[in-house]
Amino acid sequence: MSSETINERGPFASAIHWLEETAIALILGLMVLVTFVNVVLRYVFNSSLIWGLEVTLILFSWLVILGVSYAFKITANLGVDAILIMVSSPVRRVLTLIAVAITIIYAVLLLKGAWDYWAPFAGLDATTGRWFPTGFANSRDQAWYETEQVPIPEWLRFIEASMNQGEEYEKLPRFIPYFILPFGCALILFRVIQASVAIIRGTRESLIVSHEAEDAVEEAAAQNQEA
Amino acid sequence: MDVVLLFTMVIGLLLIGVPIAVSLGFSSIVFLLVFSDTSLASIAQSFYQAMAGHFTLLAIPFFILASSFMSTGGVARRIIRFSIACVGHMRGGLAIAGVFACMMFAALSGSSPATVVAIGTIVIAAMRQAGYTKDFAAGVICNAGTLGILIPPSIVMVVYASAVEVSVGRMFLAGVIPGLLAGLMLMIAIYVMARIRNMPKGEWAGWGEVFSSFREAAWGLLLIVIIMVGIYGIPGITGAIFTPTEAAAVASVYAFIVATFIYRDMGPLKAETRESLSAAAVTDPMGDMPRPYTLIDKPWALITAFFHEDTRRTLLDAGKLTITLMFIIANALILKHVLTDEQIPQQIAGAMLEAGFGPIMFLVIVNVILLIGGQFMEPSGLLVIVAPLVFPIAIQLGIDPIHLGIIMVVNMEIGMITPPVGLNLFVTSGVAGMPMMRVVRAALPFLGVLFIFLIMVTYIPWLSTWLPTSLMGPEIITN
Repeated sequence: MSSETINERGPFASAIHWLEETAIALILGLMVLVTFVNVVLRYVFNSSLIWGLEVTLILFSWLVILGVSYAFKITANLGVDAILIMVSSPVRRVLTLIAVAITIIYAVLLLKGAWDYWAPFAGLDATTGRWFPTGFANSRDQAWYETEQVPIPEWLRFIEASMNQGEEYEKLPRFIPYFILPFGCALILFRVIQASVAIIRGTRESLIVSHEAEDAVEEAAAQNQEA
Repeated sequence: MDVVLLFTMVIGLLLIGVPIAVSLGFSSIVFLLVFSDTSLASIAQSFYQAMAGHFTLLAIPFFILASSFMSTGGVARRIIRFSIACVGHMRGGLAIAGVFACMMFAALSGSSPATVVAIGTIVIAAMRQAGYTKDFAAGVICNAGTLGILIPPSIVMVVYASAVEVSVGRMFLAGVIPGLLAGLMLMIAIYVMARIRNMPKGEWAGWGEVFSSFREAAWGLLLIVIIMVGIYGIPGITGAIFTPTEAAAVASVYAFIVATFIYRDMGPLKAETRESLSAAAVTDPMGDMPRPYTLIDKPWALITAFFHEDTRRTLLDAGKLTITLMFIIANALILKHVLTDEQIPQQIAGAMLEAGFGPIMFLVIVNVILLIGGQFMEPSGLLVIVAPLVFPIAIQLGIDPIHLGIIMVVNMEIGMITPPVGLNLFVTSGVAGMPMMRVVRAALPFLGVLFIFLIMVTYIPWLSTWLPTSLMGPEIITN
């Protein structure tokens, strides 16, 4: 059960794919650079970027939450396939479909949670209902919450008028880093549904791979056969 | 009783093919929504805080990145050449060199399947050419490859340290002696078998080859020095220079520089065409391969290297692995909340003490749970589930947290090569092109050696605790 690549991709889908991969590479690259620069600054120039750590941690959560949808897209999520490879193929299909249903419910619950958490920070309303959204509650506006250290870039000041009733932000408001939650979770739900459709249609086998080096092993096996 | 339900649910979901992360997250969410008054919003918050609130876990992407640069950078080939130069002339020398190479590569990469793939593809072929049986070769690499998670820097140890809040630096130091010991035991076993079965031995190529191959491999091996000196300082001269997270970030920048500008196996300075990593490359590494460019040929590479396709690829690969691991860890942290809220470990500990189980019985139980779990699951994922559960119990029973960590790591290491479904067995059967059952049989004798090693590590605590205690002082257990 390897990660299948999506072969037929139109120009739009290729562009999105490139964008996702580049975003992941770029975020990780930035995390390393900021941390490294901070070490150099501390030892060589005896100073530091006070916001360095917080920005790196924010980027870390962006990397992962954004990346999970990509992992669902390329079937890179780790799972246990010990039972699946032992049972007959109709049984495997039924089990996989149950797994798919569970994953969709998980993604929906996570998305509701993500929205409920982020909405008050963005001055929007959280949803009511314990398990599934039943309507909108009148949430207390928390758009004035700021991050600890991250400065707000000047060009972003225009948001003060609508978000903070015209008052000045001293630091980057929290709803900006937190935005990845609803955005990322919505993407996760989207990719999970996409994967489910592919599984139901039979163009994809499962949601999981059993270990992280599966591609490399396949390459090696292919080399063996040539030799 | 609820707890049994929770764990049955997690395991049931895992077995039907739900991704590990979703099994953990879904079960915890259902449990929290049914039995407590936690809201979905606060679950989403802990999901976000799993990354944004854990400085220790930040070391994971950086270590993964450093090892990605190192494994694309042809370091494996250079390390193997160095190992063969050192021990290749002994009886069974190529096999011993394979173990030696696995130990060094393990220290660089921190992942067992990655070690088997990188070293195995080259060494198994070379061993067959030298006249070893394929089974023996596969058995050796399959076992030696598991050292990846024991020899520091190890991602699994970072996960453990972060899950139970002990020092990463201590965990790394604690892995040094057991890691060397395991390698040594495997080497001795191979040497004895080689003597009995009269296996081939190579030519002693002289000290010149040892030094020249060391010079080649040194750039890669220096990475370990940077990390270790960075975390602990130079004994007697400086204190710690970096936190483990910073050391990992520095290591990945260093690995990038070595791979693109020194080894030039990737990036803008890479030679135009290259042979594949065939067995011939081991004996004659520099052969008639085209020469890579120098910075004088292409000075603009200093800038373009950052945007080169190879750099982007490596960053993406490391990012992908980080994402899949962190997705599991983030969800396991939600499960950890459930466990802590419900005081579950304390209940189990109480029950065990009442039943009269002592530390020894407890460790046996931990051994068994992890050996079974380690067969099915990726080590970091298993660790985040089991560690928060057994850690409080171990503390109550007076077991050292660092010692417990090493026991757990060694257990999972062995779980990966225990039949019927150990992960490394699958990887080796793919790499060597052998059916699963043959790999299992080939790995058995060495598995026996590692079992003895496990018993030693479990019941001789100072193997793991002596080095960290003597270098970093006695540890303070707060609970």
